[in-house]
Amino acid sequence: MTEDSLVDDESAAKIGTVVAVATGEVYRRDWQRWAAAVGDHNPLWFDPDYARRHGYRDIVCPPLYLQYAILGVAELDGLRPDGSSGAVTGGMAFPKAPRRMAGGESTTFHLSAYHGDEIEMTRTVESIVEKQGRSGRFVLVTWRADYRNQHRELLAEATTSMIARPA
Amino acid sequence: MSPYYEDVDTGDAIPALTVTVDETQMFFFSAATYNGHRIHYDKQWARDREGYDNVLVQGPLQAALLSRALTDWIGGAGRLVTFSVQNRAVAYPGQALTFGGVVTGKRPGALVDLDIYCKRGDDVLMPGTATVALPQRGTQ
Repeated sequence: MTEDSLVDDESAAKIGTVVAVATGEVYRRDWQRWAAAVGDHNPLWFDPDYARRHGYRDIVCPPLYLQYAILGVAELDGLRPDGSSGAVTGGMAFPKAPRRMAGGESTTFHLSAYHGDEIEMTRTVESIVEKQGRSGRFVLVTWRADYRNQHRELLAEATTSMIARPA
Repeated sequence: MSPYYEDVDTGDAIPALTVTVDETQMFFFSAATYNGHRIHYDKQWARDREGYDNVLVQGPLQAALLSRALTDWIGGAGRLVTFSVQNRAVAYPGQALTFGGVVTGKRPGALVDLDIYCKRGDDVLMPGTATVALPQRGTQ
């Protein structure tokens, strides 16, 4: 790390390590609220008869909702000034690059999640790289997360990234 | 009805979805995803502290709308296998966003690869790729 790097030593030391393990139960009402907020009225998420006619044993959790099933409870006193909690990403702060936004996500879905499934997510820091963009320097952080159900079946593997910019 | 693998060709466009996200939808999406990030609801913060013109449409909402365009197209007999997107530019509420994709290839296992996008006019805000599995004729 150079003297003026945007990446502090504490964050850099987390590369390759597990920064978060989170568990949560999949609730149909929660995924249906998410789907309604997206305007996504796919009957696979809502109609058990329809889902069974298509080979599922019940309605299924929308693939992109799985990442939210493991979110815990945020203490409002512990939020960052920008209102984000950072719990899922392992509380990596980047004090020299506090303006954060989602970079991207890439997920492979193996199996569906059903109401009542207990999900465990394990998140590892894959890389932290400082880059130069059109609007200046930024930090690109990439995480890898595995999602397993209560039978230890792998439901999904996700790579997500975040961009953090100096104030 | 799901499209059949046999009936899909490289170069085919999937039906595009156009959505103008408003602040009510943004509020409900933040609630549904337990997202407290101020850039999605605190205009003063978004403008004065982060330098945007307004609050920002959540990147994950754009991604969710893009996956909706895909899962609407593949129907109940199709399956989303991979989904990959990058946030390239921000979107503000009140802007018409279009979500769609183009088939780039077909593979054994009834897999179909696509380039997918969220656009505002001609600007690609969120490019990506996806793979879906489609039903095959005579196997249903």
